[in-house]
Amino acid sequence: MKKFILTFLALTLLSPVTAFAQNAGNTIYVDVNGLVCDFCARAVEKVFNEEESVEDVKVDLNTKVITISFVADKELSEEKIRELITDSGYDVVAVRSAEDG
Amino acid sequence: MQFRYFALLGLVGLLIIPKIGQARPVSYPGGITAMFMNNGDVNSAHVHYSPTAKYSLGYKYEHWRDRDFNMHALQLNNLIKRWNKKETQANFYIKSGVGVAHSLDDSVTDKNDFAAYTGLALDWESRRFFTSYENRYTDAGDIDDFFMQSARVGVAPYIGDYGDLHTWLMLEVEHSPKSDDKFTITPLVRMFKGVHLVEGGVSNRGDVMFNYVVRY
Repeated sequence: MKKFILTFLALTLLSPVTAFAQNAGNTIYVDVNGLVCDFCARAVEKVFNEEESVEDVKVDLNTKVITISFVADKELSEEKIRELITDSGYDVVAVRSAEDG
Repeated sequence: MQFRYFALLGLVGLLIIPKIGQARPVSYPGGITAMFMNNGDVNSAHVHYSPTAKYSLGYKYEHWRDRDFNMHALQLNNLIKRWNKKETQANFYIKSGVGVAHSLDDSVTDKNDFAAYTGLALDWESRRFFTSYENRYTDAGDIDDFFMQSARVGVAPYIGDYGDLHTWLMLEVEHSPKSDDKFTITPLVRMFKGVHLVEGGVSNRGDVMFNYVVRY
């Protein structure tokens, strides 16, 4: 019984960590130049939200970083990400994964 | 006068043709923007579609109250150059249009005439400061022709995050050499949140400025 409870607790506690790890691995960070205007940056949301593989897009005007989260088992190539951001009117400085920091 | 028509038409053509030649498959579905501008001189409505971040094409209506004419035009806005820096962005545009002007002056016999206009626009902004300049030459045939230019400076009293209500305090100076009042100075407030932008102010002539822009 004790073993069962411990196993249950371990699974319960570890599950969110595992989910977070998967999600973090499925997130890309893009450093961008020219990201100074909220009104203009809506273009970034628009172009990425039309991609089926994209779950969420966040724009940070303070850090000039665009965070793109993908739906499970899907992603965009770095080349496509660069293309979409360039088409939105911005210059890509770097594309980073969670592992890159 | 005819020469000016062709010169303007040629200029507009030169601006349009390279873009058609450069047209590529649309990977960016584009946005639709509606702009409604009102000041002491003109009321205008402009709806344009941007196939890419490089240009937009749209319809523009203008009602020039003191100049006594209306204009319906097809307008092309070209982004000639954009400078993206870490903390700033600058842009250089050329805006041109061709259409029909309709005189509201009873003394004018030919009520309708070909109309065209072109001008350049420059802007530079950081999250704290803004400055811009634009000019335009308009030729509405026998109805009217004029040149005007304007410049703006602005400062954001606070720096908002993405999604916040953003506020700018601005000062616009407009120069219309052929007008009775050659210079118009308008302090104004610009506010935007999400896809909505509004501007309001009162000029030194007492005229109200009210602009609204929405981007889909």
